[in-house]
Amino acid sequence: MSEEVAWKRSISDVNSGILVGIDKPAPTYYLALAFSVLCLVIGAAAWINQIYHGMGMAGLNSPVYWGVYITNFVFWVGIGHAGTLISAILFLFRAKWRNSINRSAEAMTVFAVITAGLFPLIHVGRIWFAAYWMLPLPNTNGLWINFRSPLIWDVFAISTYLTVSLLFWYMGLVPDLASIRDRVKGFRRLVYGFMSFGWTGSIRQWHHYETGYALLAALATPLVLSVHSIVSWDFSMAMQPGWHTTIFPPYFVAGAILSGCAMVYSLVVPLRKMFQLEEFIRKEHLEALIKLTLLTSTIVSYSYGVEFFIAWYSGNHYEWVIFLKRATGPYAFYFWTMVACNCVFPVAFWSKKIRTHIPTAFVITVLVNVGMWFERYNIIVSSLVEDFIPGSWGHYQPSWTEIAITLGSFGWFFTWLLIFCRFFPLVSMSELKLIMPKPLRGKAKKGEAHG
Amino acid sequence: MASSEQANGILATFEYLDDFRQAMKNTRKNDVFSGHVSYAPTSYHELMDDAEEIYGRSGVRWFTTVGGITGLLTGFGMPLAMDWDWPLVVGGKTPGIYSLPAYVVFGFELLVLFGALATIAGMLFMGRLPNTKARVRHKRLTDDRFAIFVPGAALDGEQAKLLKSWGAEEVLRSK
Repeated sequence: MSEEVAWKRSISDVNSGILVGIDKPAPTYYLALAFSVLCLVIGAAAWINQIYHGMGMAGLNSPVYWGVYITNFVFWVGIGHAGTLISAILFLFRAKWRNSINRSAEAMTVFAVITAGLFPLIHVGRIWFAAYWMLPLPNTNGLWINFRSPLIWDVFAISTYLTVSLLFWYMGLVPDLASIRDRVKGFRRLVYGFMSFGWTGSIRQWHHYETGYALLAALATPLVLSVHSIVSWDFSMAMQPGWHTTIFPPYFVAGAILSGCAMVYSLVVPLRKMFQLEEFIRKEHLEALIKLTLLTSTIVSYSYGVEFFIAWYSGNHYEWVIFLKRATGPYAFYFWTMVACNCVFPVAFWSKKIRTHIPTAFVITVLVNVGMWFERYNIIVSSLVEDFIPGSWGHYQPSWTEIAITLGSFGWFFTWLLIFCRFFPLVSMSELKLIMPKPLRGKAKKGEAHG
Repeated sequence: MASSEQANGILATFEYLDDFRQAMKNTRKNDVFSGHVSYAPTSYHELMDDAEEIYGRSGVRWFTTVGGITGLLTGFGMPLAMDWDWPLVVGGKTPGIYSLPAYVVFGFELLVLFGALATIAGMLFMGRLPNTKARVRHKRLTDDRFAIFVPGAALDGEQAKLLKSWGAEEVLRSK
């Protein structure tokens, strides 16, 4: 891919070109930050209100004990998938185009998983008991936590994923932090020097760094695939029609990658404008991301079809009725929105013209994210409203508190992401240099200038 | 004697990767460059091949292996120990029958977690980081220039002349 990129810049332009944006972001940056903080404040107020008045503020009821909060949890974990996928899996496959967007994808992952981690806390209501419920601590009778429960599997999976993603992200940042240290003065130099561990770029350091990076990528690759598989087991291990199906792990992983890639695109397009990174995050790189979105969209569409087929072919009446009701019942709006956003709109990406037309592709990727949120809502709510006892069938409508907290989660995510962009390079400078033309004397003689 | 990281000497900067690689090879063969340190702005794979010739395969992989095995044993050991501490008798079965398939999740997750933490520890230890005494010898070494630092050498010495003849862009005194 990167061999096809007609670079207008050399490696000498990378540091100055990328870091100039950090010092002088566009005015839209401050607007976006202010809006994010506003959403965050609204969400925080709603959460405080819920803690004070209790879980009755949420629309949860019998039999729908999981609603928007768990939908948000799965949605944000899914968003967090693309970062490590792009960093680790594409690194191992030597997909060079990832070098221009891996930093923003990794930052997105870290903040998305932190956001996801808030929702079990919000969902349990009494957060002061959360550690007691979620960690392997014995109760007052000395009875340990149930290690056969997929919920404790999920705690371990998400915690590991967050830690490994953080390590991967920070490890990649170290050489870039040293680059910033060497350009700034005074207190900033001290801070960046501290954060870069005294990195000098000696060949010895690079040697061990590269080995460590490759090993970390090898460890993170099965982790990426396992995390959303384990999240799917939260559902599929339950004897609940609509959930208890073996396709869930690969289906969830494909969905997570689809939403993650779409979110990376939706974030990178405005950010490259705000921080003047168009010369470094090229159209060709964005197109490669769209191709990955298209691929995962087709896998997700296939999964939707197979899910229906299994429900019918299994001969399980309860399973089949749940699926029919998803498409035709009171929650049909959510189902068809999901199908339109995740299966139909991305079909447009088969056209190169649309793939490379950034505004259109941006709108479609935002719609994909809407669709992926609806998918999780559809899976959770439509299965829970009708259990095996018709007398206990119910209805679920998100309350204003839940909607405000959902809005707040977006505010929380974007606030951290935008703060990150202001102090750290959004493009991995040391890795970007690897995909640009090498500074060779041979080339210089032929007239390809180098700084 | 101060380590190469802290010593005074000369610093030869290179603009081109091919010149730098050739100079690296030459300095390794010549005793007057004893204790020299090479720097690069990024990890070109040619340089990593050269680094493997100089330092051998990185020992970071052993940190990863030990961390991973420790994690795997911890992941299985923790629920097994807790089962042993308070057996859950399910369906009247004899205590001592443990749900090993369920514990694969913990074994796997802690393998990855401990393996990753050990990898970072290995990368830092082998790369001699954190290094509070590290000197910034040239601002462009983390930007776009390659360099070779020779401790104890002088600007009018043999090393400086050789480095110039091998394509060094400039040779500077480095304190």
